[in-house]
Amino acid sequence: FSSPGGRKEEEPEALAAGKSPGAEAADRGWAWGVVLHFFLVNVLVMGMLKTFGIFFVAFQEEVGGSSERVSWIGSIMSSLRFLGAPLVAVVCRKLGERPTSLIGAGLVGGGCLLSTQATSVPFLCVSMGLLLGLGFACLYQAAAVMTAKRCRTRLAFSNAIARSGMGLTFLIAPFTQLLIDFYGWQGTLLIFGGIMFNLIPSSMLLRPASTQPPQHSSARIQDRGSSVAKEDSEPLGGCLDESTQRESELCSTQDLPTTERLLSHGRDASGLVDTTALERLEKLPPNSCSPEIATEAKRSYKPLPLTEKENSQPLLDFSPLKDPVFCIFTWSFLFSHLAYFVPIFHLVARARTLGISSMEASYLISVAGVTETLSQLLSGWVADKNWTKKYHYHVAYLVLSGITNLLCPLATTFPLLMTYVVAFAVFCGGFMALVLPVLVDLVGVQKLHSYLGFAAFFAGIAAIGGPPLAGWLYDYTQTYVCSFLFAGACALISPISFFFEPSAQKWKLKKANL
Amino acid sequence: GVSRSSMEKNITLDSATRIELSCRLDSRYSHLKHLQVTWKRGNETIRHINKTENSWSIQLRILDNSKLGSYSCTLKGKEEISALFHLQVPKIEGKEKPIISYEGDTAVMVCKSFGYTPIAWTWYMTNGSELIAINDSLLADKYVINRLSANITHLKILKLIKEDDGVYWCEAAFELGKSIGKLKLKVLSLMVPLRPFLAIMAEVVVLVTIVFLYEMYSKKKEKCA
Repeated sequence: FSSPGGRKEEEPEALAAGKSPGAEAADRGWAWGVVLHFFLVNVLVMGMLKTFGIFFVAFQEEVGGSSERVSWIGSIMSSLRFLGAPLVAVVCRKLGERPTSLIGAGLVGGGCLLSTQATSVPFLCVSMGLLLGLGFACLYQAAAVMTAKRCRTRLAFSNAIARSGMGLTFLIAPFTQLLIDFYGWQGTLLIFGGIMFNLIPSSMLLRPASTQPPQHSSARIQDRGSSVAKEDSEPLGGCLDESTQRESELCSTQDLPTTERLLSHGRDASGLVDTTALERLEKLPPNSCSPEIATEAKRSYKPLPLTEKENSQPLLDFSPLKDPVFCIFTWSFLFSHLAYFVPIFHLVARARTLGISSMEASYLISVAGVTETLSQLLSGWVADKNWTKKYHYHVAYLVLSGITNLLCPLATTFPLLMTYVVAFAVFCGGFMALVLPVLVDLVGVQKLHSYLGFAAFFAGIAAIGGPPLAGWLYDYTQTYVCSFLFAGACALISPISFFFEPSAQKWKLKKANL
Repeated sequence: GVSRSSMEKNITLDSATRIELSCRLDSRYSHLKHLQVTWKRGNETIRHINKTENSWSIQLRILDNSKLGSYSCTLKGKEEISALFHLQVPKIEGKEKPIISYEGDTAVMVCKSFGYTPIAWTWYMTNGSELIAINDSLLADKYVINRLSANITHLKILKLIKEDDGVYWCEAAFELGKSIGKLKLKVLSLMVPLRPFLAIMAEVVVLVTIVFLYEMYSKKKEKCA
């Protein structure tokens, strides 16, 4: 694999700074290991969630219980994955990503094994719904944050690669069916438990990053300073310590998201900050904004308590809820999720009402899946080039996806519908791949846990409410056209909040300076 | 040649009833003269045919199983047109795929009748080529037969052993006859899924060891460097 872009530039400086290239390569290796783990998590978690429908039938026959009661298991499982995120964020901050991920893998595997002994629906609700849901939440949170921490320069692309795992889940359904035919649902759950335990060695790849000598960072800052557009600020070296702070990208005043990082400096304690701030003051990069540097230097000179970062923040950090940036992000996240799920739900039904056979309709779905995966990779790669801020791409994709959805009612024949599906998949893949990078850009890696936790919580509410809402829309209007119009409207509403982003950052900076 | 067009219709009867079967000639063919209509059951011809302008019908009193079967009406003229009526008892559906269960566990087999309520349900198991009725009062700790609702019956087999593996039949008795459904039960020993599971666990342990060792190794390298 080629090294992430930024690293190439710094390599000569790294050598000058006395850091061995071997360790650099090792860091890169670990970063790809994290991406691999995230990929596996996506494949297995999404696969399990999607194949629950197959288990549903088996459960109903053997364990008994009405259709409604059995479907509770699936609902608990998929909703806890989101709703459990704030709790998991707390655990993650306390214990670190690797232990959390190991706990998650253990929960999932253990839940599967325990479910083989199930004799009633409530038992399954707990063993499968609760344990698996929490396990998934743990795995997801840990993997996402670790990816954000490790893959600094190529975050969007790495995120896209990991997400492409979801595209492979279509293989899991026939595999599950085969297993059930051979071993019955209990044997299948046993084997699934084993497969989930494979997440244990891959969780071990989430190695906490080691600290780097400070000289390295100054060299970085210099070359960072030359790239104005770069939002991503480089950490001290490629690797991060749990308690390392982000160096802010000092440059144009446009780079307001960095205020968050400036603010976070206030809390962090490490001698590294002081040295690097000093060095930065010495080597003023060409287009730095002096007020920002001055503030930062001021902060680093404050008598900082040498406590661990985790202790300085309250255990359940509600601060994201008061943060306007978080509101902006969550608003966009919520509506974009609705805009994503609803059309997928009703695509096949709409195709059928237009007289398209179900074979061709399923062909539409497969094309959508493949196109989305490819588009995610492309979008991640393009976003990493940093030609402009990542959320600009995000907004662009959302708007285009909204327009596509609004035009969907015009697609009444198979070729037109196929065109719609391809366009929709391209734009959806585009914005889905950028969700994590945009969040990282907005709030920084440090507080990512709490922000991601709460954002996932609200996304969970959307995920729970989405399908029933879509169903209600159909029942009310008796046509699927409205679902697409609704999705288009959601997709167009969602980027509106990003227009407030610059003013929100200014407001935060003002507040912090008071 | 003579073009033969035939139609078939299935009629399900579960209790004694009077039924009228009629063959009606389509207006397209009303030009055909000198038509001879015969109603037959197998080789037996039925006499009393009611004729109206374009239709010929027979009235049947179905009282028992012997009256069920296939009835045909044949119109012979220039062309021969015939229609078949299949009078039968309701069909019972078993299960296509085998039910998989484990030794020591409980297996539940369900038989459903669609639309018609049987008088009684009986379960049979296959011993060699014989069908042996399952008496749940005799072997109450092994078999439990539950009639969940009028149309659904459950057979629960407790404490499964290897010998319980095989084909089971559920028979629904209607007034006019019996109908049978087939189910297959497969009893697996616990070792069967356990083997792949242990293989996967072994692989997991190997991977964990590799990652762990690699980490130790790279930590040592970093310390030395």
